Amino acid sequence: MAVPVSTLPRRRQPRLSPLLAAFVLVPFAIESVWVFWPALQGFWFSFTRWDGMTPPRFVGVDNYTELAGDPTFRGALLNTVIWLLLFGGLSVAGGFGMALLLQRDRRGVGFYRAALFTPVVFSLVVTALVWRVFYQPDGLADTILRGVGLEHLIRPWLADPDTALYAVILPALWRQIGYVMVLYLAGLKAIDPALHEAARVDGASAWQRLWKVTVPQLKGVNAVVLSVIVIDSLRSFDIVWSLTRGGPYHSSELLSTYMYSTAFQGLRLGYASAIAVVIFLLALAVILGYLVRAFREEENA
Amino acid sequence: MTRALRTGAFHTGMVLLSVLWLAPVLWVVVMSTRTFDDIAAHGVGSLPHSFTLDTYRQAWTDGGELQALVNSLLVTVPSVVLSLMLAAVAAFALSRYRIPGRRTILLLMLAGNLLPPQILLIPVAKFSELTGLYDTLYALIAVQVGFGLGFYTFVLYGFMRDLPREIQEAAMIDGAGPGQIFGRIILPLTRPALAALGALSFTWIFNDLLWAITVLRTDDKMPVTPALLGLQGQFVSSWSVIAAGTVIAAVPTVAVFLRFQKHFVSGLAIGAVK
Amino acid sequence: MSDFDPGRRRFLGHLGLLGAGALGAGSLLSACASSAGGSSDKASGAITLQSNLSSPQAKTAMEKLVADFNKLGKGTTTLNTVASETFRTQLPTYLTSANPPDVYTWYAGSVANDYASKNLLLDVSDVWKGLADYPQSLRTLSTDAAGKQVFVPMNNYWWGFFYRKSNFAKWGVQEPKTWTEFLALCQTLQGKGIPPIGIGLGDTPWVASAWFDYLNIRVNGAPFHRELLAGKQRFDDPKVKAVFTKWAEALPYFDPKGKAYPFQEATTALLAGKTGMFLIGTFFADAAPKDALGDLDFFRFPIIDPAVPVAEEAPTDGFFASAKTANPAGTKALLTYLASAEAQEAYIQSSSGIVLPANPKAKAADSPLVVKGKAMLDSAKELTQFFNRDSSDALQPTADTALTKFIDKPDQIDAILREWQTSAEKVFKG
Repeated sequence: MAVPVSTLPRRRQPRLSPLLAAFVLVPFAIESVWVFWPALQGFWFSFTRWDGMTPPRFVGVDNYTELAGDPTFRGALLNTVIWLLLFGGLSVAGGFGMALLLQRDRRGVGFYRAALFTPVVFSLVVTALVWRVFYQPDGLADTILRGVGLEHLIRPWLADPDTALYAVILPALWRQIGYVMVLYLAGLKAIDPALHEAARVDGASAWQRLWKVTVPQLKGVNAVVLSVIVIDSLRSFDIVWSLTRGGPYHSSELLSTYMYSTAFQGLRLGYASAIAVVIFLLALAVILGYLVRAFREEENA
Repeated sequence: MTRALRTGAFHTGMVLLSVLWLAPVLWVVVMSTRTFDDIAAHGVGSLPHSFTLDTYRQAWTDGGELQALVNSLLVTVPSVVLSLMLAAVAAFALSRYRIPGRRTILLLMLAGNLLPPQILLIPVAKFSELTGLYDTLYALIAVQVGFGLGFYTFVLYGFMRDLPREIQEAAMIDGAGPGQIFGRIILPLTRPALAALGALSFTWIFNDLLWAITVLRTDDKMPVTPALLGLQGQFVSSWSVIAAGTVIAAVPTVAVFLRFQKHFVSGLAIGAVK
Repeated sequence: MSDFDPGRRRFLGHLGLLGAGALGAGSLLSACASSAGGSSDKASGAITLQSNLSSPQAKTAMEKLVADFNKLGKGTTTLNTVASETFRTQLPTYLTSANPPDVYTWYAGSVANDYASKNLLLDVSDVWKGLADYPQSLRTLSTDAAGKQVFVPMNNYWWGFFYRKSNFAKWGVQEPKTWTEFLALCQTLQGKGIPPIGIGLGDTPWVASAWFDYLNIRVNGAPFHRELLAGKQRFDDPKVKAVFTKWAEALPYFDPKGKAYPFQEATTALLAGKTGMFLIGTFFADAAPKDALGDLDFFRFPIIDPAVPVAEEAPTDGFFASAKTANPAGTKALLTYLASAEAQEAYIQSSSGIVLPANPKAKAADSPLVVKGKAMLDSAKELTQFFNRDSSDALQPTADTALTKFIDKPDQIDAILREWQTSAEKVFKG
């Protein structure tokens, strides 16, 4: 029988042991050296004009004012938001659904899980080729549509500015759902089955159990998955780049692809750093609000 | 009766879904058995007109895939072990103890992952040159560990904080120090999360491309993913050889996943908590 | 209760410390090694050749060259081959690193001279003293703005309208010489239900730049083209618009599927008889099955204005060296070797063979295709390099955007050109 927490005597928290301090400071130090320091440099570069070879030249907020007036940037921003909602939303729904279906050990379930995870594992160089071939004129996509009589829907999927972005979401989901599923599987495993038993005894249906027991218990995992989705959506780069490079003429351009092409094709690293800072602020804005609230709840619990 | 029907429906649905999901992968495998002339004459998207296993030999010997795989493992295994270990202790300290500023520290560590890595490529390259680690596998390990820490700490924090307070309080009453609490109590309970993260991080680090090409320059130090990229020609690539190389490269990661998955899947076992 | 006893945890902790210590010690060691080893290495004549020639044949050819050079005793070269795109993105990092590779494969034109203007390239005028028999055009191409040579060419190739001889015979058509004949040919093929002009822009939008380049040099001449790419002319100039007006005449004959698949698939389509002809460089033959090579032929881009001196695109590949090389003597010896006739002939034999050696004394492959290509280039008054090599890799994406948009929406040409000018200005300004 568990004792309610609040009736336990409030212990004086022991003084911070040096081991505990090391537990926090060593990883933090490593991350500071390899991540924070280059990141600060990246922030600094956003205020300069730099081509990667000659020394950078300070230009103040010129890069940011240019960003504000850049139509490609605005388009990329809009596309990124669409991507965040569609790709993010669908991968959470898909990953969660798959995790629910495959959480219990039954015959063959290991195979299904591995099948869903395999796209995450295969190198993108070749899988991108396969998807490109899938979307090619007279490729598999077109053949399927012809087969079901939807011929009039056929278009050059990756080369049509109206469909390019949405066509890329499919392979992106294909790669992401297995990964989200893995996170939810771990979270579902940590839920105490006794809670489900108690709810079942009380007469709750499977649907009610899902929403009243499972989902609340996954709060920690949900915070993680949300952050993962936001981070991945905003950093989604390689799948879009290998399929369309942000084309045709910027119609599937995301902030991340625009930043990459500015940095490594246009060799305008200062401007690219400014785009990177925008991506960072965007991610921070989305995640921070949710997380701060989530943490504050935990404090009061 | 309905039970059998439900099971049947479940399996049919899942088999269909799995086949659909694996279809592109199967295509890659089929492509790896075609000859170059076959693909050149009929295109990548056509049904195969040839069969050969020579592509695997080519990928293995000419492509230097053995060396690349060794490099990948040399980098991935230490990186996964090191980063998960460090992230676990950090998450433990931050989630189970009232350390001042813990939320800020955690968010700061996560924030490190919010910046797109592409923009950090050149500063990191220059920094690794400064430390003399440039063009060594150590640099790649250091970068992978540094970049994974924030995210892994955050994930493990999410799992660890959900663990009930009672067991920890009980151990503290018994006089256990943080090290023992971590090793004896919290770590075993976090096994599902660690296994999940282990499988994921192994995959990511193994498949990483950007960091490898940033801090490495010599072709026989390259891990498998950039090495596969290197099989592409300037204009024309032998896709069947690259496909063969990709299949070979996928074997370690699939193996790791299969091995780890039983740790993060819910069994009918009694709850691990009590 | 738990399988994790303190002893084991302590052991793992010690392992971790050991690991961290090893990392630290290792970095110290390698730091010492790189500085100490650096000086001793270079003294013994070690040279690093960083190469982007990653296709298996080219790589083997380069390995043979390097092995042959090492036998000469003038130095020991190590060859590092990385993927082409990797090489391109990392080249600035290689050149600006503290311990750069000595020699690099790269392309002639602004793409090399850009690095020279930043003082990153070694002056190889010494090597050129021994290359007196090279044509003046190659010498000019390899000279930077300050008048010193920075580049050593190895081979070049050409662009043309490639077609299958058997298909042309089957359709009863001939090679056109002028633009009017060309359009008539397109009409004939269209009438037979075959898309006359093949193209592959799916993953390779830069292929469209060949059309822009050629139309520009045919309509406005090579000097204007070079100035435009150097930022000295405007993209919204009426002369540039004239190029697109001409292009619009041929647009209806383009393969509509072409914008969705890469040029390798377009090659397959051409060889399968699904398209009539294809404006592409000779490298496309690497994607063709061996038995089709004998059936290939090409004609030069049709003449539009007979008054304009004929220019052709002949991208030149070769080598340059880092200014910070620790072994200039060995580096120049390697470059001299790579410029020699034997080395270039050996390279051509081992690689796919449809390239022309830069050294006039070296024998090119004997096939009729190569003979015809060489004759075409020799008779040209001017040689340009291709859009990105004449301007910069930074300007190429602006061209890709503008040209793919034009092919899709030719009526928006004015807006497209204005946009192109704005993006080009950003690139030139930096």
